[in-house]
Amino acid sequence: MTAADVRDFDPGDGRISTPSTRRAPAWSAAAPVRPTAALPPLAPDRGQVPPDWSEVVEHFREGLVVCDADGVVRHISPVAVRLLPEVVPGELLAAAGVRGMSDGIPGAFTHRGRRLTARCVPLSGGRCCWYVEDVTESVSRADALLAERARSAFLAVVGDKLGNPLHPDRAAAAVVRLTVPSLAEVAVLVLAPRSGRARWWRASRVDDETPMVDSGVLAGGDLPTAIADGLTGIEPHAVDWLVEQAVDAGWLPGLPGVESAARVVPLPGGDTPVGVLLVARRATRPYDEDDVELIRAFAARAGAALTTALLYRDQAEVADTLQASLLPVEPAETAGVQWGTAYRPAQAGLRIGGDFYGSHRLADGGSLFFLGDVSGKGVEAAVFTGQLRQCLQALHRVESHPGRLLRLLNDALLETTQAHGQGRFATIVLGVARPEREGGLTLTLAGGGHLPPLVLRASGEVETVPLRGMLIGVVPDQRVGEVTVRLAPGETCLLYSDGVTEARGGRRGDEQFGPERLVTALTGCQRMPAPALAERVEQVTCDWLAHGDHDDIAVLALRAVGPSGRPSRHLHAVPAPADPDQQRETGA
Amino acid sequence: MTAPSTAADLTDVYPAYLDHLADADEYGAVDVALGLLDAGLPAERVLLDLVAPAQSEVGERWARNEWSVAQEHAATHISERVVAAVAAHANPRPTGGRVVVACMDGEWHALPPRLVAEVLRLRGWQVTFLGASVPAAHLVSYLHQHDAHAVALACALPVRLPHAHRMIEACRRSDVPVVVGGRGFGADGRWARRLGVPWAADAPAAAELIADERALRRVPPAQLSHLADDEYASLVRRRAELIDGALADLRERVPATRAYTAAQLDSTVSDLGHIVDFLAAALYVDDASLFTEFVEWLTGILTSRSVPAAAVDLPLAHCATVLRDFPRAVRALTLGRAALLGAAR
Repeated sequence: MTAADVRDFDPGDGRISTPSTRRAPAWSAAAPVRPTAALPPLAPDRGQVPPDWSEVVEHFREGLVVCDADGVVRHISPVAVRLLPEVVPGELLAAAGVRGMSDGIPGAFTHRGRRLTARCVPLSGGRCCWYVEDVTESVSRADALLAERARSAFLAVVGDKLGNPLHPDRAAAAVVRLTVPSLAEVAVLVLAPRSGRARWWRASRVDDETPMVDSGVLAGGDLPTAIADGLTGIEPHAVDWLVEQAVDAGWLPGLPGVESAARVVPLPGGDTPVGVLLVARRATRPYDEDDVELIRAFAARAGAALTTALLYRDQAEVADTLQASLLPVEPAETAGVQWGTAYRPAQAGLRIGGDFYGSHRLADGGSLFFLGDVSGKGVEAAVFTGQLRQCLQALHRVESHPGRLLRLLNDALLETTQAHGQGRFATIVLGVARPEREGGLTLTLAGGGHLPPLVLRASGEVETVPLRGMLIGVVPDQRVGEVTVRLAPGETCLLYSDGVTEARGGRRGDEQFGPERLVTALTGCQRMPAPALAERVEQVTCDWLAHGDHDDIAVLALRAVGPSGRPSRHLHAVPAPADPDQQRETGA
Repeated sequence: MTAPSTAADLTDVYPAYLDHLADADEYGAVDVALGLLDAGLPAERVLLDLVAPAQSEVGERWARNEWSVAQEHAATHISERVVAAVAAHANPRPTGGRVVVACMDGEWHALPPRLVAEVLRLRGWQVTFLGASVPAAHLVSYLHQHDAHAVALACALPVRLPHAHRMIEACRRSDVPVVVGGRGFGADGRWARRLGVPWAADAPAAAELIADERALRRVPPAQLSHLADDEYASLVRRRAELIDGALADLRERVPATRAYTAAQLDSTVSDLGHIVDFLAAALYVDDASLFTEFVEWLTGILTSRSVPAAAVDLPLAHCATVLRDFPRAVRALTLGRAALLGAAR
């Protein structure tokens, strides 16, 4: 080997670079970019004493294999001997059977467990030299980095998907869905049994997109041993019989039973695991230590999400039951009256608020109705409305005259607020509607400091009922306003809370909606059915708000149904009676 | 009433049905619908071929100023009662999972999603209809408490698209797939594609999409990189200033507006607000056609109420001057003014 042999070639370690060579860097970060113009071209001969090239070459990181024109190995450096022990000088290189070097195409390949790169450079006289480098370490470093990045990205997605409190069923489905395909081809989640029944979710890989998810219920005793153990917090380490158990249970569709790898990890919960996750995939990708660590990290997050979801569900059930008891009850069907309501609490996430309405049937065929607003906001106010409604529910049986009933309510309220030492008060309009023989309704109204009701006359005009009175729950001898209003058939009385008129919006969002705009919005609406009218009030108010914050909004509309109008029917399939007897229909 | 038995009979009873809506005659309208059911017409056909087209006619009569808002509301209420009666008559047994149907926050056109809800119910889904203008917080807390297979969200006006997008994202965070529908996403659903959400053209399409879980979960990415130019955010911030400016401009150039009553002034301010909001929505989805379609629609509405088209052009010109540094807004306004000329002609 002479200087001429190596003159034009790059040893590949980046230390010498010649303009004539072009080489793709094996890993870009390790290949420093150097301006080639800065280096002088190699001079053929500067009259120096040539070093012993073979000695120099032996210390290259790359091993060298020089072949002659016939492909027979003529020289092999010690590094190459270590990497390719089967290459023997004097024999054909192809005969050594090194995959990646026999076909003469340069590239990367695995040989005897090492990652090698090889490139072939032609020399003079038809000879060629193979430069072989062991890149096992740098490749494994890059692989480890990529794998770590993939794990972090996976856990980030998991955190994102499971970060919100979800419904438990949805959280369970999300857990198995996230597992496929990153961690498994089939994943089964078994939740800790509740009253002897264990619910399970399974995701299986269909293609590269979304996995298929199914679910079901198993009796606690039917669980495979590994799963039952996992639910007590034991993570089984013997893996071979785990696959058998899962296959026996019919849990791994689409996977070859024997040639599969599986793992079971408990999902940490409060004190005992909230569930167990079984992951399985083909044995060609067995679970190594890093994989198991990732599965445990995933299980920790999944366990936290499921625990949160179960806790949330339990608390939401309690909250829901309490909320349902505090929701306004829709008015009962009453002869001669068409009811319309709208209710929009200030806190949208909460379905309850400080406004309330309702109605009770009276023994004489009339109907007691009310709409009011209590001091305070949110849950506390809602609880107070519940107390008021219960008070009315009880008191209307002993007193049905609106004015006297309101005074009774005031006394009861005053007593409870004094007992609790809290100043609570409310405004309310309370009335009794009685159908008249020739059609229409007579309304006897009592006012407790609430906004006066509006009446939509058949002419299209809107009147404000002159109803005054003081807040209830403040002074013992309360002054109550009382008015009687007559509604002809088709006329409507509208009760509303200050959330309507005090809604802030308009051009700058600080202007109050006000009673004038409400009257304008109702003018000409006398033909509207009561539910449509109540919804219209809600809609114009919310449009005025334009997504701003608002107070509780409540609307109650009563429309006098004309004698010509057919009576209300529960079922439309039930034929209307020929001569509607209202007393008989409504009962007492 | 003779029992209609074929689809041709549906066309026969349609005019009578419309008359019942016009008279706000609940029982008459319900009788027509139940008569069709008794004659053997499937409930889905009654909803989609009788109630739905009649309701669009109601909207058009309002747009042509033939009907007042009150009449439109009353007719819509009757349509809702008919849907309830048809649903009670059919009374299907639920076999599938739960599907939640709701109107976007601020969206009051509840009948189209109600029809979708009933069609889904007829096809075996367990449907919860949350009604008109559902606040995002309410929807999300509902989804946390009740496991839902999918959420179907309706939006009739494209002006709600920015809100719609936030609401869609909120549902997605609860890991519940979302389907959207309604004219608010464009006649061809192009703005749904912009927001990266599956869109259904009508109730049967929504039912098919909801039945295909893999299609539901296949979510194309939203194409909203244009929002980086901040034009949308700036416009929203300057909403009040733009409305004030446009109003002052209108008062200066059209003396008649100075004598407006409080109610007229309110509706002018509300129209100006619509102009700014639709412009903002057009910037949000980066599609000037959203704005030009709105301008054409508004011109039609106002012309039928004897308001000259010039009254729309003035605020558009005013906005174009104030927003001259916003190229996307200026382009939409320029195209809007051109559309106005075309519509007024």
